[in-house]
Amino acid sequence: MAQLPHDPPVAPAAAQYVERVAPEACLRVRGELSSAAGAELYRAVQALLAERPSEVRLDLAAVPRMDSLGGAWLVRVADVLRQAGVPWRIVAASGQVQDFLQLIRPTLETPPPPPPRRPGFFETLGEAGFAALEEARDLVELAVDTIYWGILAPLGGRGLRWGTLIEELTAIGVRAVFIVVMMNLLMGLVIALLAAAQLRQFGAEIFVADLVGIAFARELAPMMTAIIVAARSGSAIAAELATMVVQEEIDALKSMGFNPAQFLVVPKFWAAVLALPALTLLAMFAGTLGGMELGVLVLGISPQAWLRQTLAAVTLGYVLHGLLKSVVFGATIVFVGCHNGLRVRGGAQGVGRATTRAVVMDVVLLIILDMCFALLYEFVG
Amino acid sequence: MTVLIEVEHLVAHYGERCILDDVSFTVHEGEILVILGASGSGKSTLLKHMVGLLRPTAGTVRYHGQDLIHMEEEERAALLRRVGISFQSGGLFNSLTLADNIALPLREHGGFDEATIQALVRMKLSLVGLADAGHLLPEELSGGMKKRAGVARALALDPEILFFDEPSAGLDPITAAGLDQMILSLRRLLGLTLVVITHELTSIYTLADRALMLDQGKVIFLGSLAEVPRSTHPRVRQFFQRQPPARAVAATS
Repeated sequence: MAQLPHDPPVAPAAAQYVERVAPEACLRVRGELSSAAGAELYRAVQALLAERPSEVRLDLAAVPRMDSLGGAWLVRVADVLRQAGVPWRIVAASGQVQDFLQLIRPTLETPPPPPPRRPGFFETLGEAGFAALEEARDLVELAVDTIYWGILAPLGGRGLRWGTLIEELTAIGVRAVFIVVMMNLLMGLVIALLAAAQLRQFGAEIFVADLVGIAFARELAPMMTAIIVAARSGSAIAAELATMVVQEEIDALKSMGFNPAQFLVVPKFWAAVLALPALTLLAMFAGTLGGMELGVLVLGISPQAWLRQTLAAVTLGYVLHGLLKSVVFGATIVFVGCHNGLRVRGGAQGVGRATTRAVVMDVVLLIILDMCFALLYEFVG
Repeated sequence: MTVLIEVEHLVAHYGERCILDDVSFTVHEGEILVILGASGSGKSTLLKHMVGLLRPTAGTVRYHGQDLIHMEEEERAALLRRVGISFQSGGLFNSLTLADNIALPLREHGGFDEATIQALVRMKLSLVGLADAGHLLPEELSGGMKKRAGVARALALDPEILFFDEPSAGLDPITAAGLDQMILSLRRLLGLTLVVITHELTSIYTLADRALMLDQGKVIFLGSLAEVPRSTHPRVRQFFQRQPPARAVAATS
């Protein structure tokens, strides 16, 4: 067996399959061209390249068969030789090997595709900016469509879809009653417990009633309810619309001359705008009840005294403030859910992403809106 | 001819409904067996039973004499690695690029190094004529390209048998004919055995060594295409002569 003139970069265990035909730059492969023979050939070619040959020949006459792994090694050999700029050819392949070579010839002859270009910093920034602009435009468009089809068109005598509205009211409102009441009841209890621990130091336990009443009317009932509805229905809306987009149902609607906002968004919009204040009102009662439970059972205050104290503290203004807020929250949840659903890209994973994004966006927007209301109330009255 | 798969007295139900009723046949090594039949005749169900995705009510499927149904889970997984399936709509993972879709079984089962995997992926992609499309996501592909990509992934582990569910459904005649030619050249060059489900007459005539026709879960024809004219079953005649069902004829005349 001919000795390799130079040490190959990776020392071959033993030249079992590949033989150098000196003095030309010719490598003869013997036996089945599979994983082992392929690896050896690859190393032999690398070693051969150190001689700077003008042409490399691979003699496959003694190869009875080859498989995909052998093919993969040949592809790597071809890449190495192409990079080195050395012309090469395969001689004397026959039978199955020739068929196989014919099959993979395009791969042997073309360089690997270049890795996709990564965009630079400013490109990424610009793209994000344009994407944000586009998203804002989509959102405004959706809002305009919804207001048109939800308010103006019905006034002009083009009716709402009452059946769907009732269904949505049930889904968003009625089915949420139990969980909203339960959560606010417990929340009322916790808030009262927390306040009592502080106010007891001053002997002012009765003011726990004021605190719980005002907190629930202004902040906690609208917020808790909105978060529960965002988790229950905001996610459902996004998933439903996203699935409809993926399955081309939205395209079908459009092709029949329906506006998706009219058909899908408006009923949900009205349902949420009606259901949220109703749920919030329930939540206010539940929270107050939870606080009273603690007041009566732990602080030993009579229910009548607690109620009187609560009614004196909670003005109609607070309640209206809370209810108005809940209306805005309801509209936000529907817009965000529909918007994310309609913008879905990709298949099953896209639906998941749209749903997650809707809920996260809901929670963030709810808190920002809540803050705006608080500031407005403080400074404008 | 060596027998590769034996299906014996296969019976399958979806709930109360009987989908396959006592189906028996064999697949020989190196042949293209076309399973055909009207929509809802149980073709896809049969394929899912043949690769162990569904369990039959009764009957067996044997590969090289080994019972697929009553096999240990690991044994079955090892066996199925030698089986490629090209699903009706590609069955590609939407979150992965084409190259990663094909690399997935290689990475999980193969134990190859990354450079070898990349070379294998390039080879498989160029086999199905998608050499430049490796970096694309499935959603960026047309229907025909998705099918080709599905084939490339099915071929990733060099299967000895390839199941092909409706290769030409939803494709234009030119693309469909191209796909049929690809199937033939794969068989010639890789020595694959193919089980193809289709109801396109042109595909059947181009591909089939033998054909199996199902009707309401029963085998009503099994044999080479030359034997079709000799069949006396009315459904077989209707199918190959593209005649509408008897009732529809009465309604239109």
